[in-house]
Amino acid sequence: MIHWLQAHGWWPFHVHWSEWTGQLLAGLLRTLGYTAAGFTAAALFGLVLALMRMSRIRLVRIPAAVYTELFKNIPLLVIVFVLYFGLPETKSVFGDWVVLGTFNAGALALAIFYAAYLSETFRAALAGVHDGQREAAQALGLSRWSIFAHVVFPQALRLALPGTNTMLVDMLKSTSLLITITAGELMSVGQSVSSQTFEVMEVYLVLAAIYFAMCYPLSQALLWLERRVRAGAALSLRRHRRLRTARRLLATVQPAATAQPGGTA
Amino acid sequence: MTLEESRTRYDGQAPPDRPVIAIDGLVKSFDGRVVIDNADLHVLPGAIVTIIGQSGGGKSTLLRCVNLLERPDRGSIDVAGEPVFAGTRVVCRDLARLRQSVGMVFQRFNLFPHLTAVENVMLAQMKAAGVSAPAAIDNAVRLLRRVHLAHRGLAFPDQMSGGEQQRVAIARALALQPKVLLFDEPTSALDPESTREVLQVMRELSDDGMTMLIVTHEVPFARRISDSVVFLDGGRIIEQGTAAEVLDRPTQQRTKDFLKTFDDPLT
Repeated sequence: MIHWLQAHGWWPFHVHWSEWTGQLLAGLLRTLGYTAAGFTAAALFGLVLALMRMSRIRLVRIPAAVYTELFKNIPLLVIVFVLYFGLPETKSVFGDWVVLGTFNAGALALAIFYAAYLSETFRAALAGVHDGQREAAQALGLSRWSIFAHVVFPQALRLALPGTNTMLVDMLKSTSLLITITAGELMSVGQSVSSQTFEVMEVYLVLAAIYFAMCYPLSQALLWLERRVRAGAALSLRRHRRLRTARRLLATVQPAATAQPGGTA
Repeated sequence: MTLEESRTRYDGQAPPDRPVIAIDGLVKSFDGRVVIDNADLHVLPGAIVTIIGQSGGGKSTLLRCVNLLERPDRGSIDVAGEPVFAGTRVVCRDLARLRQSVGMVFQRFNLFPHLTAVENVMLAQMKAAGVSAPAAIDNAVRLLRRVHLAHRGLAFPDQMSGGEQQRVAIARALALQPKVLLFDEPTSALDPESTREVLQVMRELSDDGMTMLIVTHEVPFARRISDSVVFLDGGRIIEQGTAAEVLDRPTQQRTKDFLKTFDDPLT
């Protein structure tokens, strides 16, 4: 088929992509690596920042607020350059650890930048959980940790998922900025291909298609997850099993139990 | 592990003559405004005590002081013979265990919306009392049957009517085998049909001997099930006695005026 198209001059590609498959795959994996590392760190750090911003203690609240405002208002590229090009200049003062290397600098820049945005999403979500929920959990004698883990967090997660998912897809696309530090991700591979083949249009259209092929299914999958979580679906096997047991017990016909004073039926 | 095995509870049921709840000289203020003014209230085992009074009169605050959702300014509170608050400080050694001994039902239900009805009833058993999952499921199912909601066990709160949600909330409050149940205007957010369903369950609980402290505007219901009625006004207990004494033969003018509004709201 390909040969036939080529023979008739209808084959649209001039680049021999089969020669670049290995590098493209490596770039793709590196893009996913930056996204996974950057997003995990950003989500954890963002959650910590959100909790700090909700603290009653000013000394805890203010640094988190300053951080969020600072990094929300600085371009990602500036953070990348500071970490990759700027920090090594301080090596004589702080030691070798400031030379982060490409992957660490790239992933850290993404984490620092997106943590600021995610903290806003998480803060809004945590604040969106009605006070009555915490109160009801307190009245049941749940510990502070249990209240957070089993009552507040799952509800906040439902509220935070749409914004968080958008950030994840956005971060995946933003890894392309790491081309500026030759990070070896997809965009860097694309630049390498275009500089060697001079087929700029074709190369970047193919890259656009690859990014789309990653981002679109990801965002659709996240939408599906959002809907499942909102519908209260059992996502863990353990919960699934418990609900199945409950369904079986609820289905058995029994007379209403007699109540006992101060006790269960 | 079952709930029974897991519990080293507030020491047993209080003796019949010893109040499950003993509140003495309780004072609570918000921003300098006194909302509970030197209140004394004793609830004996198996008794149904109803608190009535105008909105904003301190009824809910008094209730919330019992399980320390609100911290009083001074006074004393004992629950099941254990001192909870004395003088100006909390003396309760284990707040979580106190709260497990005092079930609470809220006006707005406050069910956990991400969990099914059965999971709402299971949660505190597993996470607060350390009951195993199979025992918690078993107990939750039995409690849902007790409030006539076995058929709604796998429904989420937003799929249930207000009355159903409140009955799940009652089952949830019962799950830890409390010594006493506190009801904070349990029917105020409900339509008449749902109100009837909830009051029916509460009457069944009273028939079973459950000790209950109820804040309500349902005067006919209070008359029917209460052993004792308390009229609270401006943070002060104006009058208390049997349902017949307070509701049918009130001695205080404020009580009379308040009860009169139930005959004709515009008088």
